[in-house]
Amino acid sequence: MDFIVTFPALVAGRLVLALSPLTHYLRDDHLLSSPLTSYSRLQEGIYLFKHGIDPYSGSTFRHSPLLLSLFSTVIPLNEVTAAFLWTASDALAAWSLVRIWRARQNVSSSSRDSLIAGLYLLNPYTFLPSLGQSTSSFENALCLLSLMLACQKQASASLLALAFLIQLSLPSILLLLPLLLLLISEPTSHLASPFFFKTDIRRITPLAGQFAAYILLLSGAATLVCGNLNWVEKTWGASLTLPDLTPNPGLWWYFFTEMFDHFRPFFLIVFSVHLLIYVLPLCIKFQHDILYACYLLLGILSIFKAYPTLSDPGLFLSMLSLFPETFPYLHHPIVTALLHLHAALLLPLFHYLWLNQGTGNANFFYASTLVFGMANGAALLDSIWAGLRIAIGEVKEEHEVLQE
Amino acid sequence: MKSTTVHRFILFILSVLLLGRGVVSNSEPAAPVKQFFEKHGARESGHTNNWAVLVCSSRYWFNYRHMANALGMYRTVKRLGIPDSNIILMLADDAACNPRNKFAGCVYSNTGNYLDLYGDNIEVDYRGYEVTVENFLRVLTGRMDSSVPRSKRLLTDDRSNIFVYMTGHGGNEFLKFQDNEEISAFDIADAFEQMWQKKRYNEIFFMVDTCQANTMFSKFYSPNILATGSSEIHENSYSHENDYDIGVAVIDKFTHYVLQFMEGINKTSQASMQDLFNTFDPKKLDSHPGVRSDLFRRPLENTLVTDFFGGVAQAEVVLPALEDAIVEPEALEPETKQRQSPTREVADTFVDPSLLATGWELPNASDVTASALRQHGGPDVDYTKLMVAAARTEIALKEPFTSTLRAWASSLLILALVSWTTVPRNRRPSEH
Repeated sequence: MDFIVTFPALVAGRLVLALSPLTHYLRDDHLLSSPLTSYSRLQEGIYLFKHGIDPYSGSTFRHSPLLLSLFSTVIPLNEVTAAFLWTASDALAAWSLVRIWRARQNVSSSSRDSLIAGLYLLNPYTFLPSLGQSTSSFENALCLLSLMLACQKQASASLLALAFLIQLSLPSILLLLPLLLLLISEPTSHLASPFFFKTDIRRITPLAGQFAAYILLLSGAATLVCGNLNWVEKTWGASLTLPDLTPNPGLWWYFFTEMFDHFRPFFLIVFSVHLLIYVLPLCIKFQHDILYACYLLLGILSIFKAYPTLSDPGLFLSMLSLFPETFPYLHHPIVTALLHLHAALLLPLFHYLWLNQGTGNANFFYASTLVFGMANGAALLDSIWAGLRIAIGEVKEEHEVLQE
Repeated sequence: MKSTTVHRFILFILSVLLLGRGVVSNSEPAAPVKQFFEKHGARESGHTNNWAVLVCSSRYWFNYRHMANALGMYRTVKRLGIPDSNIILMLADDAACNPRNKFAGCVYSNTGNYLDLYGDNIEVDYRGYEVTVENFLRVLTGRMDSSVPRSKRLLTDDRSNIFVYMTGHGGNEFLKFQDNEEISAFDIADAFEQMWQKKRYNEIFFMVDTCQANTMFSKFYSPNILATGSSEIHENSYSHENDYDIGVAVIDKFTHYVLQFMEGINKTSQASMQDLFNTFDPKKLDSHPGVRSDLFRRPLENTLVTDFFGGVAQAEVVLPALEDAIVEPEALEPETKQRQSPTREVADTFVDPSLLATGWELPNASDVTASALRQHGGPDVDYTKLMVAAARTEIALKEPFTSTLRAWASSLLILALVSWTTVPRNRRPSEH
């Protein structure tokens, strides 16, 4: 179907649902929003700010001060504007995804546009957090916007979007290096024909400088709103020190509930550095197709982030649609799909059993997060395999492809 | 030689004076405390916390009414503000879940089954076979093994008012514990004396509902004890009504009428102990209840019921010094002191309404002036306003105007950045 028709229809449908009272039931769900992205906390922070109390003096409000400033001045936050805002961010994200696809295929429009937009807008992993008005939808939108602008060679805008994204969510700093490399290379698909990085890598230095300037300016804007530097510890520091152990679909919280204080700093460092070690290898291995490296890093983030919600793996799965050349080479798509189905059914069920009904305990929910992690891990590993396998191409008879 | 003795004498006098001065200066901190507690004369009780020890010393189904007695007192005392942490409830606790109980899990003290005393959240500290004379005396005196948990201890101090209630089967100067042993009036009297020596109470109100109850308090000899019992020596105390569904008597007369009186009492009540004792009607009770107040230093007309039954104490609320706002610190006494309002001194306070009213959405924010406070006066002081006022001084009080200024500045900076990057300009070389 025509993209011009389907896209507005999907957005309109999303808007209708966003204006319905459904949002109230989804708002405080632990799967859809984390302490860093919850709408209730955002409202609380804005209220405190408007009444002259520092929202960062307590630990309820962990959103970026930029959201604080925008929502208390330019965009007043109430039921209606929130619905429009979240729908708009989803529309932006879907549109950016389509534009990335078009840039990758080097066409101005294609028959798959509506499918790709639908895969983002109708994906329950992204759709439900957006209805629950979790600011992780904004993070997704900014991420896709930044990637899209990088594909279109608009460096400043892309870097600004990434800087803004990092203000909202610190772990996204993993995307800095691939994005810089993407800015000086092509987004078109070269998975099948790998090559060494063609352009001069020193070209990223001025871009990196620009990015640093943007980050400093945005941090300055954030400090301007707060009047002091408390926000750093409460927002960015939350991803590093994990002060809030609210259950979420990630792997960190349970681990740190049962952690003795003596080992806490060590494991916090391990978990944070663990995220960093994936950047260089993925960028080196996929230097011929940096967009694929970005995609894989988003997968890493979705599994190993400190406070993930369902929208992080949602973004990863929706972006799979950009790489149809990998589909024939996926080892176990059925297994991955079934694991995801399994996890998607168990997560809300065990959460309900544990916290509403009281007949289960935290281990039930933790087990379902492990299954969810396995599902995401399976998807990620399969994607890495397929991305590398394409390069080998057709295999002669009696030959096999082995991984050493 | 005379001069040395004179010298020694002068030295002696000087040292006595100095010591005397030392004694006086040591009591310096005690003076404001004394003044606080005796602000309205020595009629005040001087207690800061309330405890209750409620003992039902019977077990078995046919002593259902003793269980109901104790649970009724428990409920009343909780309702009036004594928390579970300050109540020691000793019950055999075999009535609610007894196989003979038609209303499983419920204990009623009336035939109409109006009010379930057992409920969902009662906290029985000593149940079943733990209700022994030894445990009771250990609770009172505080002499227990270090492994006993806090919830089973009577952690009172010298400003605690304790309500001790005992019910069960008793006789001349004894009370039967669980069909097994007895506690005598001398034991309780000695326990109270130990408590006095160890400064474990400010005042005790001892109530006992058994046969020949008044003999139980006849042996007390420690100060500040007020006692009441349900019947004289050689008299029985009777049960109030039988319930034909439950099959046994559900409440005793004395406790029933006391609880009935207490239903009309709430935390702010000014009813006195004399009012309570005036409601004792020997005709209705079929026995002669007694009151012993010779050891009690205050007149009963001035002793509030809530001094013992409720968790109500004197408090003085002082507003923190709001900058540029307060002329004098304010001293307010909430609740229960209303009858003394003619003599009360409420210092003149002026709280600048603009400080609290700017952008603040509380109703009547501008009413927080001295006149309003005086009007609200006794029991209705709006603590939320006071707390909010206090909170605002502690967490950085920023004028909302500068906050909005900052927010706008920041938003404009963000928008400027966005427009600078997105509006097409001369392409920089690195972007190709």
